[in-house]
Amino acid sequence: MVERIEDLNLPNAVIARLIKEALPDGANVSKEARAAIARAASVFAIFVTSSSTALAHKQNHKTITAKDIMQTLTELDFESFVPSLSQDLEVYRKVVKDKKDSKASKKDASGAADATASGSGATEEAN
Amino acid sequence: MVEPKIKAPHLRAPTAETVLPLSRVRTIMKSSMDTGLITNEVLFLMTKCSELFVQHLAREAYAASCSKETSDTLKYEHLSQLVNKSSNLEFLLQIVPEKIRVHTFQEMLRLNRSGTTSDDDDDDSESESESESDE
Repeated sequence: MVERIEDLNLPNAVIARLIKEALPDGANVSKEARAAIARAASVFAIFVTSSSTALAHKQNHKTITAKDIMQTLTELDFESFVPSLSQDLEVYRKVVKDKKDSKASKKDASGAADATASGSGATEEAN
Repeated sequence: MVEPKIKAPHLRAPTAETVLPLSRVRTIMKSSMDTGLITNEVLFLMTKCSELFVQHLAREAYAASCSKETSDTLKYEHLSQLVNKSSNLEFLLQIVPEKIRVHTFQEMLRLNRSGTTSDDDDDDSESESESESDE
């Protein structure tokens, strides 16, 4: 559970980096605008989570799945996120699978395998 | 006025890495009352999607600000304007409210008092406390 309200804030530096990435070079962001975006992102996460939970419950599922989130995003009018997210998820699943495989084959070299798995995972197509 | 060069969101390579911290996103997700178990996959997806949302918000607000002004600074006002006009950002209306100056508000209040029904007074007292905390 949440002990302090600040625990719901996303780290400022990371938010600043994400915003900078999205805007053209030379663009500035006021402090207030950055704080508002950070706040909005937290609320967005809570909003999507509770909507997905409601959707899962409606289908008599107890836990939310990736599919629930995708469907929720579409319902909330953020379907533009779905293609990129699906790609990310494919890569993520592959990385997790590779990790598991390499752990099973050689237990001691897991650290090195992790590094190569995440490195190649970004370029290869999953499945 | 220069047309803003907006980076295309779809040119980004898919990754299994997240920029935002997963643990923090988990805390945020758990703060929602009835969230049950959160699988790693769902946590990853929520983190990614929050990242996309941050960039979406910044990009859209900046594009709107550039079409009106020559300044290249993204300000709070641009965000609240965007939230106000986008239907899919409706859930942020209370989170990123439009700012209002105290004297503008008092003017509104005065106009309202002098010739409207008591129904409006309810709204007034609510927004009054909001504007005071803003200024």
